Formats: sequence, C-alpha cells, structure tokens
Amino acid sequence: MAPTNISHRQTHNLLLISKLLSLRDTASPLTLVLDSLEQPATPLIKEYIRRAKLSKVHVTLIAFETLNPVDGVDAFIAARRKTPLEIVKAVGGAYQNVSNGPSRTCLMQLAGRLILIDAVNPLLHAKKNDPQFHLSTFLSTFLIPSSSTAPKVDVSLVVNFHQDVPNPPPQSPYAPSPLSMLTYLATTIIKLHSFSHILAQKAARDRSLAAPVFGLEEEQDGVLLGRLDKPSGNELAEGIVLELEHRRKSGRGVLEWYFLPPASRYPAQYVKEIVTLLDDHPLYRPPQQQDADAEEEEPESTFELRLTDRQRREREGVVLPYFDAQQGDGPGEGGRILYDMGEEDDFDEEEDEI
Amino acid sequence: MPTQPPLPPLLTPYVSSLPPSSLTVLSSVLGATGNWLVLRFLHAALGQPSTSDAALGFSETNNGKKRKVVLVSFLRGWEFWRTEAKRLGLDLARLTDKRQFAFIDGLSELFSVPTATPTQTSPSHNPQLRGAVPPRTVLPLRPQPGPVPARGPQPAPRPVATAPNTPTSREIGPVKRLHLSGNGNAALDALEKDITAVINDLKKSMTTGDGQEETEVLLVIDQPDLLLAATGPGRGIGATEMGDWVMGLQQHVHATLLTVSADSPLIHNASTFAHQPTTPLETEHAAFSIGSAHRAHMVMQLRNLETGAARDVSGVLRVSKGGAWGQDDVDDHWEEKEVLYFVQRDGGVSVFGRGE
Repeated sequence: MAPTNISHRQTHNLLLISKLLSLRDTASPLTLVLDSLEQPATPLIKEYIRRAKLSKVHVTLIAFETLNPVDGVDAFIAARRKTPLEIVKAVGGAYQNVSNGPSRTCLMQLAGRLILIDAVNPLLHAKKNDPQFHLSTFLSTFLIPSSSTAPKVDVSLVVNFHQDVPNPPPQSPYAPSPLSMLTYLATTIIKLHSFSHILAQKAARDRSLAAPVFGLEEEQDGVLLGRLDKPSGNELAEGIVLELEHRRKSGRGVLEWYFLPPASRYPAQYVKEIVTLLDDHPLYRPPQQQDADAEEEEPESTFELRLTDRQRREREGVVLPYFDAQQGDGPGEGGRILYDMGEEDDFDEEEDEI
Repeated sequence: MPTQPPLPPLLTPYVSSLPPSSLTVLSSVLGATGNWLVLRFLHAALGQPSTSDAALGFSETNNGKKRKVVLVSFLRGWEFWRTEAKRLGLDLARLTDKRQFAFIDGLSELFSVPTATPTQTSPSHNPQLRGAVPPRTVLPLRPQPGPVPARGPQPAPRPVATAPNTPTSREIGPVKRLHLSGNGNAALDALEKDITAVINDLKKSMTTGDGQEETEVLLVIDQPDLLLAATGPGRGIGATEMGDWVMGLQQHVHATLLTVSADSPLIHNASTFAHQPTTPLETEHAAFSIGSAHRAHMVMQLRNLETGAARDVSGVLRVSKGGAWGQDDVDDHWEEKEVLYFVQRDGGVSVFGRGE
C-alpha cells in the first residue's frame, strides 16, 4: 500500500474510533460489543466510562451480571429479577432525577447520556419472558425520548454480548437468532480479541500454519478458559484488540482493527487518544527498517573489510577519468564514445552512419 | 511419600484471600473432581494458621477477620464432607458446634415433601415427574479410592447412612436440608431464603460472641448444576434463573465459591463453535457454566492430563482470570498459572509445576 494511503487511513480511522469511544456527535446510537471468556469486555467498558467522565456524560449501567456498582457510573441499575418493562422504567427514572434535581442545575447541560448493558445474554435466556418481548423495541425505548416534552438528549447505547454463551433454541423456527438481530440493529460492532492471541495467530499465519485456537474453541475436556496472561513473559503483549465495523449513515461500512493498551499504561485523566491502529503496533507489524538494517550487516570475518575514515575520504577524493570526459569542454563533448582506430579495425562507413 | 501440608504452598495465594463480593468458579470433570480443592478452601478459611490440630484456641482470626463457611452441597452428603475434612485435620462437627461452619444438604430431601418424610416417596414419584435425575442421597464420587469401594451396588447401603434418620437426630449441628417445591423463580427464591437464613444465623451468632470483629462468610455452592439438570426449562428454571439465584446469594456473603462440571458433552455440544442440534440440558448447562465464568473473578479449572493417566499425577489445575476480573480496582495481583496436582491415598495433595 502506498504510504499516503496509510497515513490517510490512520488519520481517518483514528478519528473515527476516538469519536465512537468518546460518544461525540452520537456517531453510533447502538454499539454492540462482542466479547468472550478469552477477552472479556471489562477493559473496554471501563474505557467507555473513563471517557464519559472526562466529557461529563451521564453514565447508566444496567447490570445483569455485575453485583456491585462500578466506579464512575452515575446510575447503577441491577437488572436481576426485573422484567424488561421495569428496567426501562428504572433507566428513565435514573436520568430524570439528574436532570430535574435542584442540586445539579449547573450540570443541566450534560453532554449526553451513555447507557451500558453489561451482558444481554441473561435477558435473552430468561424463561419468564413473555412472547410480546422484542429485543428491538426494548433497545429502542432507551434511545427514543419517552415523551415529546422531554428535552432531547443524545443517548448512546452500548450492549455487551457474550459470544461463547450458547443461545437458547429459538421460539419460532423462522425468527432470527438474537445475535443476528443485534448485529442487524447495531450501528457499530466491536469484536474483542486478546492481543497475545492475535500475535500467536499472526505468527502461525506468517509461517503458513493453521492459526491456533484458545479456550472453549479448543474443545478440550474441562477447559473453559485458555488465557494465561503471561504466555511469554512479554508485558508488551498485554492489551486488547478491537475489530471494529462501523456503519455510516450513508450505508458505507468501515472495517478496521485497533489496539487498546491496558489501563495501567496511562493516567485516568489522559485526554489524548490512546487507541492505535493494530497495524501500527510494533509487535504486530515490526518496522521495516529493522529488516533493512539487518541486510546491511556485513559478514563477520577475521579480516578487516571495512575502510577507515581516512581511506574513505581519500577514496572519495579520487577523480575518475570519465568525470573528465563528461565536462563537455574536452574532446568528448558529453557522452560520445571516444575510440582511436587501430590498424586491425575494419572501418565500415555504411554501418556507422546508422 | 512424606505427608503433605494441608495447604500446598503453591495454592495458598489462590485459596486464602478471596476479594470481597467475588465469585470464584471451580470447574471439574468426571476424571478430575474438585472435592479436594473445595476442602482446601474450607481449610484456608477455617483452619488454624500454624497448627491445625490444636483447633481449640481463640486465635481463629485471619487478618483480624473471623471467617465462617456455609457449605451448600448438591451432590454429596454430610458424612462425606465430614470424613474428608477430618483427613485434613478439620473437625467440621466441632466447627458446626462453634458456629463457624454450617452445612446445607441440598440433595437428600430436595424433591421430597417437607412434612412427611418417608424415603420411599421420593424415588417413587419423582422419576415420573421429571425423569431427569433420580434423587439419590449420596453419589459414589470420590476424589480417590477411599475406604468405600468406588464401584458396586452403591445406592443400597448408602441411604441408610443419612436418609432414614430424622434430621438432626443423628447429625451433629444444624444440617439444614433444602426442599424444592414449585416452579421457576418462586422455587429458587424459597431455596435462597433457606440458605440466607442459615447465613444470617451464622453471622448473628458471631456478633454476640466477640463483638467488633468483622466477619467474613464464605459460601460454597457445590455443584448446583444438579438442580439445573433435575429441573430444567420444563420447570421454568434455566441458566438465567440459576445465575440470578447465585447472584442473590452472593449479596449476603463475603465471597462465593461455585463448583460446576465442565465435562465436554455438557459444555461443547451446545457450544457456539460447534454446529449441531443440542438438547435443552446441554444448552442450559453450558450457558450457566460459561455465564458463571464470565461473572467470576477467578476460574479454577481441573482436568485430566492430556497425555493420559499417570501414576503420580491426578490432573491439571489451571487458574485463570474470569470475566469480572479487573472490575473493581481493589483486585490483588495474582498470576494466572497452570500446575499439576496429585491426590494421595491419605487425602494429602501435592501441587507442583510441570517438570518439577
């Protein structure tokens, strides 16, 4: 790929991920995060909360799996044993308290609202769901303001889905599975991978080997989790990889792979973009320069094959004869071939004229 | 072979300090059962720091906190746990008397009617009701060959040990027995109420004694997948309901240890990576186990040695970070690790790295 193309891609796609994670311009109303046991979504959720705090966005966490309130969350709603309708009401109430609260009038100008669902699987699995329950209506009630009088807020919804939890059998054979429904509705899909796994798979691909699989995919008896955080003792291999698919309003899709470093590498108040393209990561794509350097290395020998500085200077000072010939003022006149005829030469007039 | 310390040094950091309101999932397979590890957790919480036999001192504090354990077992009875713990130097009966330990029997009368409890009723009406798992008092599963032969006509002699006796006549201490009645969340709520009553009872007895000390109750739920398998979607109990149930129990205790089976057919048949028709049990069990692992801080997985049986290795233990690791910032830093273990004939366990 041409270098201009790469830098173009870098600027555009980094801007895009920064916009998505910081919830600017409601670039994506419904973000679907697909995680697995091999790479849980916790670091990404925390990153969302961190950025929301920086830009003063109201954060609501609908907790199907989390027991205790998470740091930085403004409204924590335990969804255990709640019907979808109750959840919707609780979520609506949580924001009304804030926007109408007298003490928070200074914060009336909240930048927006972020609603996180820590795992949507329990909701889809629940036995008590009535047949009237539709995932699409449930999710859209969060995005659409409850009444027309309510002030319009930019709401972003981030839904986490565990890919490795098996889906319940569909109620109707013609109904789409919840996952395909979610992927259809989502404006952004972020699939999470563990960076060390990506590196291992790339290393295998580079050698034309089958990519290794981890955890549940191994289908080994008794193995739920294959992740070991220090597989090679390599601290740099920490972090998560985001496989992003963003659907623009125009309908055009953007696909890109990003790298999110672990939270310990930067302070919580850090405002600059920390996400990089996966292709720019030195471990994923080692810089080409290293290879070039390696080729220039001369073979080792007992002789000194290199020149000293003085020798090199003198060598550069030598004027070779053809430089004279190119001066143009001599008999050569540029690039003509000068040749003195000898006796043995058989000069052919006709041939030379061509 | 020299006698092993009750708590292998390699295991100590993992079993002794569980973060507050955390869930630890211990998955096992048929060939590598997790009872010995559950006992290590019990020992870490209840045993004495220095000498486990001189258990009568008043120094049962760990980091200034008094620890208590509630063990809810769905697969094994009181006798089993008592004898196994005795081999470790833990006298569960005495600890029960001292109100440091409580055992809840989730198996013996789970499906029998609570009022009249002749044992004949439970085998007679249950199989035709559900037909999934016939209630049996004690399954003949043991971590290693013990005094009871592992094979043979087990159900005949074993029920005599526990079932026909009226509760608490023969057993020492409050051995609470769970009864399941009704369907769906209501049935689970009743179970939750019974268990929390025991937990609160244990907490209360503490505060009257030596006042200001903080109490930490560790809840061990042993193989609740039996409940899931025996009821199933037909009775309105599925993975979500079970998960909610565990979450409800978690709210009452300091830390929770949950053991589940992770045998291949139960996990991988319904896996999203294998495309084949599955049974409801496979789907629900896999969803429950994997969902629990997502909510866990730590996942300890026991499995057989990949290279086949060995004379001096019982299995492999892999400790991994679960899906909820890193949610709270208070997490202590422990490393993920994979070690081999060997359960000896006397119940002692040695834990060692590969090649050591």
